[in-house]
Amino acid sequence: MSTVRILGIGSPSGDDQAGWLTVDALLADGVHTDGKIFIEKLDRPGANLIHHLDGASRVILIDATQGNGRIGEIQRFDQKDWPGYSHGLSSHGFGVLAALMLARELGSLPPRLDLYGIEIGAALPGADTGHEVQAAAQRLAAMIVSSLEE
Amino acid sequence: MTEKQRSVAIHVPVLARVEGEGALDLRIENGDISQLRLRIFEPPRFFEKFLEGHHYSEIPDMVARICGICPVAYQVTAAQALEQLFDVDIGPWARGMRRVFYCGEWIQSHSLHIHLLAAPDFFGCGSAIELARLAPDEVRRGLRLQALGNELMDLFGARSVHPVGVRIGGFHAAPSLPQIRAIRDKLRAALPEAEALVRWAGSIPIPPDEQAFISVALRHPADYAIETGAIAASDGLLIEADAYDAHFAEQHETHSTALFSTYHQRPYLVGPLARLNLNHDRLPAGIQALLAETGFSLPSRNLFHSLLARAVEILLALQEALRLLDGYTLPDSPWVPVTPRAGVATGCTEAPRGLLWHRYEMDGEGRVVNARIVPPTSQNQGRIEEDLRLSLLNFGLDQPDDALRLHCEKVIRNYDPCISCATHFLRMNVERT
Repeated sequence: MSTVRILGIGSPSGDDQAGWLTVDALLADGVHTDGKIFIEKLDRPGANLIHHLDGASRVILIDATQGNGRIGEIQRFDQKDWPGYSHGLSSHGFGVLAALMLARELGSLPPRLDLYGIEIGAALPGADTGHEVQAAAQRLAAMIVSSLEE
Repeated sequence: MTEKQRSVAIHVPVLARVEGEGALDLRIENGDISQLRLRIFEPPRFFEKFLEGHHYSEIPDMVARICGICPVAYQVTAAQALEQLFDVDIGPWARGMRRVFYCGEWIQSHSLHIHLLAAPDFFGCGSAIELARLAPDEVRRGLRLQALGNELMDLFGARSVHPVGVRIGGFHAAPSLPQIRAIRDKLRAALPEAEALVRWAGSIPIPPDEQAFISVALRHPADYAIETGAIAASDGLLIEADAYDAHFAEQHETHSTALFSTYHQRPYLVGPLARLNLNHDRLPAGIQALLAETGFSLPSRNLFHSLLARAVEILLALQEALRLLDGYTLPDSPWVPVTPRAGVATGCTEAPRGLLWHRYEMDGEGRVVNARIVPPTSQNQGRIEEDLRLSLLNFGLDQPDDALRLHCEKVIRNYDPCISCATHFLRMNVERT
């Protein structure tokens, strides 16, 4: 059976909750876990992310990004855009891309992977999320709902 | 210029991919090491100061925040120290489940270190991603074991990152019987995988690097010490936690913001290999037979056996968790009431990376007056510097710069140090004069 897994990644630190807020917005839009869709928030899963990909025909993954974009900008990353990862790994610094690249080496990527990033500002522990990121989470949720209806 | 006259300066300005900030300075002059310093310059975190004034009931959740990989060690050490001061008997159920909870942390931490951090070194790989090309089945197995450790932590801690299950007096909640039945099945299924991991780890060639050092670890009269035991050293020391200060000292070195620990003014080793060196006679007979099969002779004076030691402890932790969960019953209550009292609480347990010692002075209302926490990495700092010096001499100072750098990285990774808890990788700039 075709299953879609939606994973919002984050931490309780200001804008780093972008992935979680997207999951909240999806739930508010009526997207719930059922037989075909599984939706979940993950807190810095590290290499464990690989196990969350198991068995899904499609995974939609949302995380916060910090680059040169404006805060609240939504980006979608194709696999060809994943930066090379040639250095050693730390137990503490094993991030989403490292986990996905390891999953690719192990043949554990789902047939379809939609990786979204929301550009964020400050990620201070315990701080609230900024308005731009809250709005971006709403927009991204709407985009995901549309894509689920394709 | 002959090799003896060669001068080499290797500076690692920032230890990359570390939890914390540190650096390595190595200078070789006239064929001898003239300077070797593991510099830890991360600002102090003041955790002990943060704890002051807080109620005992807050301490387990606060100290869990010290480390994202070994929060259980901090929680259990604090809880047991305070429970002893408060004269609380948490009963056999909570005692057993604390050990199971701790086993989960050993399984996840050791699996992660072996497969993502240490093993790539021994296969000429720069990362676990590269290792996955050479040994995909072994990496998959490692990730499965790590996930199982996390699941065990989830079960008792409600989450594996900064779990919240422990309270002073026991646990906040008890897992249900169906949950325990499910995890038991998974633990049982993982046993052959862990045995295969030990065989694989035992087959990995390691450099000959015999060194003399003192091992320090908890020792228990009957069990392989994890969460309880007296502090033992390989020279025969056997003391309770409250006598720690009579034998061990912390001192500040100008090149490090982490304190250096010494035992009778000497560096010493804590961690998996120190534990196995002191407690291999406490391993179950089946594991001892497996070690004989792999040719792993204990005690070992070669720190490159650390990877194999972690594999052995994964198997032990799986067996222990299964043993303790057999016949699991729901307790009437997962915790007992606590009445605080003033005094000094000390306690220690075996975190995945080694001995963890806590001391709390408490007031009559159960609030922290002051706290002191000695983590494994600060205890191993002096030993790492000593090891680097001896290991480089064994390796040969005339080796190419890249080889020297990789060797330093491998030596440091043997300890899986956490600066805020860990140093895992060196990015080095090499200068030759």
